[in-house]
Amino acid sequence: MARPVGNNLCITPEVGSEDMDPDVSTRMIILGPKANVSESEVVNFLHLLDLPLTIKWTCYGAMVSGKDEYVRQAVEELRKLDPYGIFTKERGFAPGDPRKCRGHRHGPREGFHQMEKEFLILDYVGEALKHPKEVHIEKKEPVSLDLFKEVLENSFKEEKKQEGK
Amino acid sequence: MVKVAIYPPNSLVIADLVERKGHQPLALQKQIRQKIKDPEIDSPPMNITEDDPIKGLKYAAIEVPSGVRGRMSIIGPIIDEAQAAIIVDNAPFGFGCVGCARTNELSIFCLRKRDIPQVELTYPTNQDETMEMINDLHAFLDKLTEMEEAGEFAEEEGDD
Repeated sequence: MARPVGNNLCITPEVGSEDMDPDVSTRMIILGPKANVSESEVVNFLHLLDLPLTIKWTCYGAMVSGKDEYVRQAVEELRKLDPYGIFTKERGFAPGDPRKCRGHRHGPREGFHQMEKEFLILDYVGEALKHPKEVHIEKKEPVSLDLFKEVLENSFKEEKKQEGK
Repeated sequence: MVKVAIYPPNSLVIADLVERKGHQPLALQKQIRQKIKDPEIDSPPMNITEDDPIKGLKYAAIEVPSGVRGRMSIIGPIIDEAQAAIIVDNAPFGFGCVGCARTNELSIFCLRKRDIPQVELTYPTNQDETMEMINDLHAFLDKLTEMEEAGEFAEEEGDD
């Protein structure tokens, strides 16, 4: 485990053997706004799988860390709970790593801002996965030169008319 | 399983959808993971050694700032490894972890330059646009699956 580091962000933490293992990966499990499961349910479910994983309960869902095959197995099982409300992505740093953990950084880690932004469309993404349908969106195009000319000429004509009166 | 480069390289939505379709997203986090596990690096999270800008020379000229070259040393291998690419245009400021507009431009340029199947999508702002993006993405990923079944990626895999 890493030692406490205070305010020093450029540290060389004493990482454990698990953190240096190339087979170990970490995954963030992010619940969409309309997910049918809560963070606690996700964490309980992951614990009940009885896999050798480190599981962390977070504000956006959970984080799992361990051997890649177990992490994949856990994510596969977890998705079955709510296929359209549970999203996952890889994470570079292990849970609680002092170089990224907000407990040591006095503020959100860098990736949080992007996650916050993407969280806004997760609801739509879940809906699109659940009920796919064809949509047609009118793309905004610049005003054509002819139309612009026409509008200008009309407005000049009206101006002249008003001056004539 | 086709290796798909995604841009922004740490996108949650795109990486998740690529995985759902059974392909492998080449996310930046994996590269970062390799970096932080490297016992040679003294002071992460800077994650940069003097070798990195040199590696970046493969992708950018010497006149290019070292920050861009350093970033390219991490993103470059993803671009080289990719068998297909998904690029999201008009992503809002701060969307993406690269933190450098010029690196973003260079990476997208390098991806476009490669002769691989690719799709460019627009970052959605409402429900209809999201639906359109997901439909386009699924169509592209299904096409990749068909191409893979037809053995179009077999040669590249052999090269690796």
